[in-house]
Amino acid sequence: MITYKHCPPDAMNLPATSIFKMEDNAVVMCIPFDPANTDYQAYLKWVAEGNTPQPAEET
Amino acid sequence: MALTVVDQGLLGTNAQYTGFKNRIINGAQVINQRNATVTTASTFVTDRWQVDNISTSGSVSFAQNTTAPAGFTYSLKITVTSADAAVGATDLIDFRQWIEGYNIADMGFGTSNSNYFTCSFWVNSSQTGTYGVSFRNSDSSRVYVSTYTVNSASTWEQKTVTIPVDTSGTWLTDNSRGIGIAFTVMAGSNYQGTAGSWGTTNNRTTSAQANLLATNGATFYITGVQLEKGSTATSFDYRPYGTELALCLRYFQTWGGFSNQDYISYLGIGYNSTTLEGVLTFQQIMRAQPTLAYTNTFQFNDVATGYNVTSFILDNVGLQNARLRTAGGTSGITGYRPYMLTTSNVNSRLQLSAEL
Repeated sequence: MITYKHCPPDAMNLPATSIFKMEDNAVVMCIPFDPANTDYQAYLKWVAEGNTPQPAEET
Repeated sequence: MALTVVDQGLLGTNAQYTGFKNRIINGAQVINQRNATVTTASTFVTDRWQVDNISTSGSVSFAQNTTAPAGFTYSLKITVTSADAAVGATDLIDFRQWIEGYNIADMGFGTSNSNYFTCSFWVNSSQTGTYGVSFRNSDSSRVYVSTYTVNSASTWEQKTVTIPVDTSGTWLTDNSRGIGIAFTVMAGSNYQGTAGSWGTTNNRTTSAQANLLATNGATFYITGVQLEKGSTATSFDYRPYGTELALCLRYFQTWGGFSNQDYISYLGIGYNSTTLEGVLTFQQIMRAQPTLAYTNTFQFNDVATGYNVTSFILDNVGLQNARLRTAGGTSGITGYRPYMLTTSNVNSRLQLSAEL
């Protein structure tokens, strides 16, 4: 099953500008927040369908 | 010798150029960075070529192959690995390439015009009959279905279709999807319609579509795909290998696969014992901010010692570089020490995709 999960913030605790795509709960790719990126377009469509990404893991 | 004659026809905006006339990238199937055998939909096989749909009770595989007509060295091969002779309404197998909007901006799509474009290709199929090749805009609101006939089984044949440039619809001319070209080898009634006109449809072919999956072990090869301006198919636009590869790198880049320890164009700095971040430099400016995927393990290396890393985050992404940082699973890092990044074995891959 395809889901998404927020990436953890960086060492300065600034939020990530990408999101993980998960397949069967394993990370398969890291997608930047770029409207021209087709993987990001697919993520936005997934969210528009009423889904919510998992929160980032604690680091 | 003095130049005495200029062919005015070659100077017009609708002239067919003699170089870089092919809007398809990797039409001869020579670039194969993924080196993959593909059996699932929405997956890229040779560079720029994507297996679009595999909806069938049978199964097929796509891969680069060295069977090719004279003048070519590679093709894209489809092999039927499990037959499906009874085509259902929703069955569909097609593969495609999206051409970037910048690369069709001169053709006049969506404007008043009387232009044409021509698509030519070499095909070799063990299953004779009629096949569909379709063209569409970015949101598939404008689609044109065309067909061609494979006359002789397992024989290379060159096919040509000439299409009027669409005068309606929205056609993107930036770094988005410009025009998509899809080749269909199996399609049910849900994807069959009328050929020969632009319309609002999801069709890929006509009711005459052949079924490659009628026979287990059937094969379909294609190469020499060219899409060019004008109403005449001209000779294939052979480009230097390095040039074709550079065109592909705008959409996909990969590291690894040459040795057990391939160096990646990266310099990282340790932050604390488990955290490291640095700059990944891309091999070429990409179409859009790319997606990162990786397989197998990597090492951060300070010359004396390698530290295993199994998980990355790519963020602050640009078109020619990005920040790559650890996402857990790494220990032993020393703060403020520089680190190189290498693969851990020959199967490790780090890949960037900005495909359309």
